Amino acid sequence: MTSGSVEVRDVRIRHDENEYWAPNGTSFSLTPGTVTLLLGPSGSGKSTLALSLNGLVPDAIAADIEGTVLIEGKDIAGRAPGQISERVSMVFQDPEAQIVTSTILDEVCFGPENLQLPVDAVLARAERALRQVGLWERRAETPDRLSGGGKQRLAIAAALAMATPILVLDEPTANLDPAGIAEVYSVLKDLVETGGHTVLLIEHNLDAAIDLVDRVIVLDGQGRVTLDGTPREIFDAGHQTLLRLGVWLPIAAIAGLRLRRAGLPLDPLPLTPHELGAALDALPSVPDPVPADRHAIVADPDVTPLLDVRALRVVRRRDELLHGVSLSVPRGDFLAVVGPNGAGKTTLIQAMAGVVRPPRGQVFVQGKDVSRMDVRDLTAQVGFVFQNPEHQFITGTVADELAHGLRLQRLPESEITERVDAMLERFGLTAQRDRHPYLLSGGQKRRLSVGTALITGAPLLVLDEPTFGQDRSRAAELLALLRDLNRQGTTIVVVSHDLQLVADYANRVAVVADGSLLGIGPSEEILADTDLLQRAGLLPPPLAQAFAGLEHHPIWRSVARLDQLPGAEGWRNREH
Amino acid sequence: MSTSIVHRPEPASPVRFLHHLNPIAKLLGPLLAIMVTIFVKDLATPIILTGIAMLMILIGARFTRFVAIYFVAVLIFLPVSTLTFSLWVDTSRVADLTPVLQLGDWTLTRGALLVGLATALRLITVASLAMISSLTTFAPDFVRAAVQQLKVPYRIGYTALTAFRFIPRFGHDLAVIRAAHRVRGVARGRGPISAIRRMFSYPVPLLASGIRHAERVALAMDARAFGAHATRTERHIIPFRTRDWVFVILWVALGIVVPFWIGPALAPLLPTP
Repeated sequence: MTSGSVEVRDVRIRHDENEYWAPNGTSFSLTPGTVTLLLGPSGSGKSTLALSLNGLVPDAIAADIEGTVLIEGKDIAGRAPGQISERVSMVFQDPEAQIVTSTILDEVCFGPENLQLPVDAVLARAERALRQVGLWERRAETPDRLSGGGKQRLAIAAALAMATPILVLDEPTANLDPAGIAEVYSVLKDLVETGGHTVLLIEHNLDAAIDLVDRVIVLDGQGRVTLDGTPREIFDAGHQTLLRLGVWLPIAAIAGLRLRRAGLPLDPLPLTPHELGAALDALPSVPDPVPADRHAIVADPDVTPLLDVRALRVVRRRDELLHGVSLSVPRGDFLAVVGPNGAGKTTLIQAMAGVVRPPRGQVFVQGKDVSRMDVRDLTAQVGFVFQNPEHQFITGTVADELAHGLRLQRLPESEITERVDAMLERFGLTAQRDRHPYLLSGGQKRRLSVGTALITGAPLLVLDEPTFGQDRSRAAELLALLRDLNRQGTTIVVVSHDLQLVADYANRVAVVADGSLLGIGPSEEILADTDLLQRAGLLPPPLAQAFAGLEHHPIWRSVARLDQLPGAEGWRNREH
Repeated sequence: MSTSIVHRPEPASPVRFLHHLNPIAKLLGPLLAIMVTIFVKDLATPIILTGIAMLMILIGARFTRFVAIYFVAVLIFLPVSTLTFSLWVDTSRVADLTPVLQLGDWTLTRGALLVGLATALRLITVASLAMISSLTTFAPDFVRAAVQQLKVPYRIGYTALTAFRFIPRFGHDLAVIRAAHRVRGVARGRGPISAIRRMFSYPVPLLASGIRHAERVALAMDARAFGAHATRTERHIIPFRTRDWVFVILWVALGIVVPFWIGPALAPLLPTP
């Protein structure tokens, strides 16, 4: 049988704790040597399917599985993951959770050692794999010193060292910042160009992945194959189906479809920022972009800003993490803080919200010094949402979780019940009121954490990377929720890595790098400022990349937001 | 374990011979001496054994912060615990009733003080003998040696190794959870009761994220054929060489000669507790 072939026949899988099957009757086969992107809404069982290809489902994760998985023509039923791992290797989402040993070299050797290869064969494989991902020179170092992107490259090297014909990547960049995503895809690109591997890729970051992909398979909500074809076929002819399923498209494709609605003859549909820019530039005439749909917040110098940060310096263990950052946030603002990992974004917003007490006289909320406020005053002014919602849950039920902040304010019980009910209603959690917060779904946990931060009536909501590790449609759902809150009067400060989402939702953007504020201003201006972003070590969002180099339509060079594109409103309304 | 449990330290110079010995030899060699020390009553045996252990550590171990802490700790522990133990001694069973210190009607006798000193010295000896291995062994090497020489199943040994990696992660998670709970106003008060109540709020989120992390690591290991075969290739051979035998035999000999021959021989020169 052909080396590297994968065939999935009528596979349905039900996890032991679930009552439903997902995937439910999936069939497809992978052509050796090609890259296939697997898309589908959350809950369609993409990851489960991936884990069944090397037997981790049902061997390590208990589940009922029906149907047949054939790897190189052989049914893998009853074979242990350890045996299948000589044919199929895997890279997972969380870079931190794939490291087992204490040096980079040991890490790559770990797999071949488990296969009982002789020492020189182990080392030969390790060297080849580390050279492929550009980590050979750093082999003696500890993996802890690597960035997120570096760790994920190491995970890829560890998979390559298994020397399998089939490689499965399950959300390999979901936990990375843009620089890390770029690192991983440059490695994957080399890998695909040298050829040989059958690759199955599950990825939400389509803008990074689309260049590599030969074929796209789309699962529906039940995990059945609903579309199967080349990327252009899927994203052009199939876009209605994708939208109905809540599956994202590459930003360039979204923009392309929108411009078509405005009457621009874009054929074929652009899929990458580069294609989009080139297609637009080739057109003799293009309508002007529409002004950004954004209620401008103008700081009035006579009114005390809601949040005022004055030359904030934060020193921790003799390291100065912030070197005198000054910014003010007027009431009603929606500010996004962006920057590479380790730039000081979290330090900045933690000091803003009093999570870590700032030095005296440097952070003021409504004119009051945050360093002198106690927890009760602080929670009445600022709601803080941590990156992992579970970290901040402190009670046993959803309702108590919401009531906690109000009880601290010593409000009468009747008023607490009333406000808790209203908040449950508002965030669609009424049916969950007596459940333990840990038993909620990911999206529900996130909404509850936002609810607990808001319930005390804090006028300012601060969120630390709330979109981290989430797929794009869920991230957009959360940002849309924040925008609704913002329109109802809550001032929002959010840290995010997803610059296109930032561009589309935030009013203003602050760029932080190496503990300093490099720039702050309206989002479309900041995100179209390629020099500024480059100095911060950031890539412009896909739309800004597409339009920055236009020769024939200079007015388009500063477009960064989707709502600046002409074209009928509405087709993205589902997300908005 | 001396410098780090996760990161391999730089190789030590040849003089620092303890770093070049097999971890199992370092652990098991002094075992007889440790057991004998627990039962001896004289002062000479623990003094001699501690002296040898300290000399070995001073010469044979890289002088790290932890070595310095060990020496300082011994200096503090000796007088403090001598005095403490001597207060607990049953005075009716002490021979030498010469008073050393008198406070009101309470007297500290010379005999009680000597018993306290002997007890403190024995504890210091046990700790010092254990330090020979723990100050000079990189934890993963200990696991490897346990798999290679003691035939501990590698599935258990390497799982223990990955557990070491969880420690810094747990520390980081705990710091975040503490900040989150503080900002939400869990048991806001000062004082020990609030502190204890706050402590009780940490285990659930800590365990939840710890278990999830452990499950992911386990998947990543399974996917790389961990446990697929009965044995695995070992690149880092931790040899058991002649020098390890010399070390073990030396300590077994010390464990017999010092308490049963040198100790009694020196007894007349030292006060007897």
